[in-house]
Amino acid sequence: MDLQNLSYAAIQVVHNFGAVAVVGSAVCALWPGLAGMRKKLAWVMLAGWAAQAASGGAFGGVSWLYYGRFPDIHGIAVAALLIKMACAAAGFMLVAAYLYRGIGWSERARQATWRALAALAATALTAAAFLRWFS
Amino acid sequence: MRISSIYPILGAALLACSQISFAQDASAKITSPADGARLDAMAQNKVVYEVVPGPKGDHSHLYVDNKEAAILKELKGSHTLEKLSPGQHDICVKVVNKGHTPIGVEKCVKVTVN
Repeated sequence: MDLQNLSYAAIQVVHNFGAVAVVGSAVCALWPGLAGMRKKLAWVMLAGWAAQAASGGAFGGVSWLYYGRFPDIHGIAVAALLIKMACAAAGFMLVAAYLYRGIGWSERARQATWRALAALAATALTAAAFLRWFS
Repeated sequence: MRISSIYPILGAALLACSQISFAQDASAKITSPADGARLDAMAQNKVVYEVVPGPKGDHSHLYVDNKEAAILKELKGSHTLEKLSPGQHDICVKVVNKGHTPIGVEKCVKVTVN
């Protein structure tokens, strides 16, 4: 089995599960009756964004390791990648703030935070499709 | 030896042959324009290419003066270039992997546009 393809596949597994974690945790947190699980869901989301960022970087790392250069993408693909990176950074910081300070926030503020996190996750997932098909 | 016992052997031989063809070395060729060719700025200039991705490659990218001009999904074909300004230009076809990273197999030609 080709080690290079195996590396890309293993990273893709982490990336895919990261995507499931960020979208799934946000949907569950906003689901009526599941508000009591929000702290656990916030940890899932934090891990999900961390996995997304680490595996995204690892894709470039494998290319660098094997060929001494990063993937060659242009135009819409670059824009989509930048959107994904911005979503991951914003999502990670927002959910970290929620875990650190969220206990003192009003219910309205918490609800708004989860809506924002859901929007970031959905935007990142949409950008991923453009990155895939415009590169 | 029964005739039916030949089929597994035949199948294994066919599989081995197909593996050999998959493992063919990667290569890139620009059939047209030729290196050093002079192109008409007013004409629709086409790049005719042929690539063998090899075991590490997947498809190829076309570059004009080091800028990506197209993603070439076909292994053999042609691509019409955008209008080129008068002067010298470098045209390259690079084999890339599934992650769009050039694998180091490429063919470049220099052309002069009048």
